[in-house]
Amino acid sequence: MVQEGDGELNVDWKSRLLMLPAFAVFVLFFIAPFIYFFVISFWRVRTYKLSPDFSFVNYAKALERYVPIYQLTFATAFAVALTCVVLGLLYAGVVRFKAGRYATLLTFVPLMTLFGGYLVKIYAWKTILGLNGILNGAMVGLGLTDEPLTAFFYSPFAVGITLIYFLLPFAILPIYASMRGIQDIELDAARDLGAGAWHRFSDIIVPRCRAGIVSAFVICFLLAVGDYVTPILVGGKISMIGNMITPQFGQKFDWPLGSAMSFVTLAISIGFVVLFSMMMQLWRPR
Amino acid sequence: MTSPADLILRYLVGILVLFLIGPILLVMLFSFSSNPLSTFPLGEISLVWWKEMLAHPRFYDSLGNSLIIAVCVGISSAVIGTMAAMSLARMKRRSANTLISILCLPMMMPPLVLAVSLLSYYNAIDLPLNLFTVIISHLLFTMPFVVLVTYARMASFDFTAVESARDLGATPLVAFMTVTLPMIRPTVIGASLIAMALSIDDFIITFFTIGQGNTLPTMIWGMIRTQLTPSVNAIGTVLILISLCSSVIALRLTKYRA
Repeated sequence: MVQEGDGELNVDWKSRLLMLPAFAVFVLFFIAPFIYFFVISFWRVRTYKLSPDFSFVNYAKALERYVPIYQLTFATAFAVALTCVVLGLLYAGVVRFKAGRYATLLTFVPLMTLFGGYLVKIYAWKTILGLNGILNGAMVGLGLTDEPLTAFFYSPFAVGITLIYFLLPFAILPIYASMRGIQDIELDAARDLGAGAWHRFSDIIVPRCRAGIVSAFVICFLLAVGDYVTPILVGGKISMIGNMITPQFGQKFDWPLGSAMSFVTLAISIGFVVLFSMMMQLWRPR
Repeated sequence: MTSPADLILRYLVGILVLFLIGPILLVMLFSFSSNPLSTFPLGEISLVWWKEMLAHPRFYDSLGNSLIIAVCVGISSAVIGTMAAMSLARMKRRSANTLISILCLPMMMPPLVLAVSLLSYYNAIDLPLNLFTVIISHLLFTMPFVVLVTYARMASFDFTAVESARDLGATPLVAFMTVTLPMIRPTVIGASLIAMALSIDDFIITFFTIGQGNTLPTMIWGMIRTQLTPSVNAIGTVLILISLCSSVIALRLTKYRA
């Protein structure tokens, strides 16, 4: 291995060796498990043991039994990711272009809420929306209703708002990072040439933030698709696909089916991600 | 002059800030309230849920496990990640970026899929589930962070100082310890604190790869699912504070600038 022309010929292959541990972990504990996990999606379970096979029966089951759940999962994830992108653009845009001296403070809010307390964040919404929660307490207290309402809780609304809550920082940060590349002078020039607020937003800000918007969408969408804790804690009877996959690795003990369901989920997710980034490619200034 | 549209935008952002920090503040607040339903009115200020947390038979074990895992993950991802970043910094930018995006793939996986694939793999290679399997699993999504942050620092790094040390006869290890490491130390420590924050907060992957035993998140999970006691608020506050502190220090050290 020779690196061109900067006089590091002899150290070069040694320095590449430094990458070995990182890639060893990556190959042994990411690639290998992933391949094995894919292979067992074609296996069967016989008398509580995995037995090698080559059958598509798990995929057939995964696609037959769970259609409504897939629909709900992807509809929810898409709506949640889109909302996060819109709110993320709003937040990042105001911080970048309008906040002035509050900008530093405002960038710390999503950073601080990004780390820490995934479970606690979901649980917090249970205390807000629950039957004896704050919202119901307030409504009864204000005399708006006599009985606590169950409508907030155990509803798609509760699942959606909780997901948006913990995913929003994941949307704000990449969008904000990509907005830092836009110079004020570009927007001023557009304004001087007569572009209104909407045109400056859609013809300059969005195309320039395309990479940030796409990664915000991808992260939010994938995390929402795979989340199974939120439906359990605030969704009541609502199940997303994660709630169907986890029991296969617990009491139902059907790892091959769980694996097939995971790969169907991944494949559809990739479809959505590709579709979204193609849509963003089409968003061009006129 | 503030136009009405700007004013509306500012109010919306104000609402979003409340939306982002309000629920977390509520959890902290309720941990000090005597109301057993975690709702308003708050009642008196009370430490009863904190006492209940400290008296919980599994609390110290869970806290201990969380800390052991976080420290091991922090150290090993710092060492492995820094080594990789050093090597990447000497490559052409394009190939370095490609390799980094490959290493980042586990972060793009839904955690549930990562968790169950690791569970089935550990089972297949007869690796017993314990804290070690949790640490290895956490490395997958924490190491990319260390590589990203340290590589960004190395990109603006002046290699001539290291080369002078080498020319003066220092072995690569000595040159690293005396020249490179002191210069990049804050970044590396910061990155490994972020790795620790991510590790301490992880629930899904820990849940599937720990086998026996608990960490703070899996203990909270057990408590939420069985009985609803406000001491969950206290444990949640501990969890949030640990990861908040480590990320605040991390951001300062890595000189994150808005």
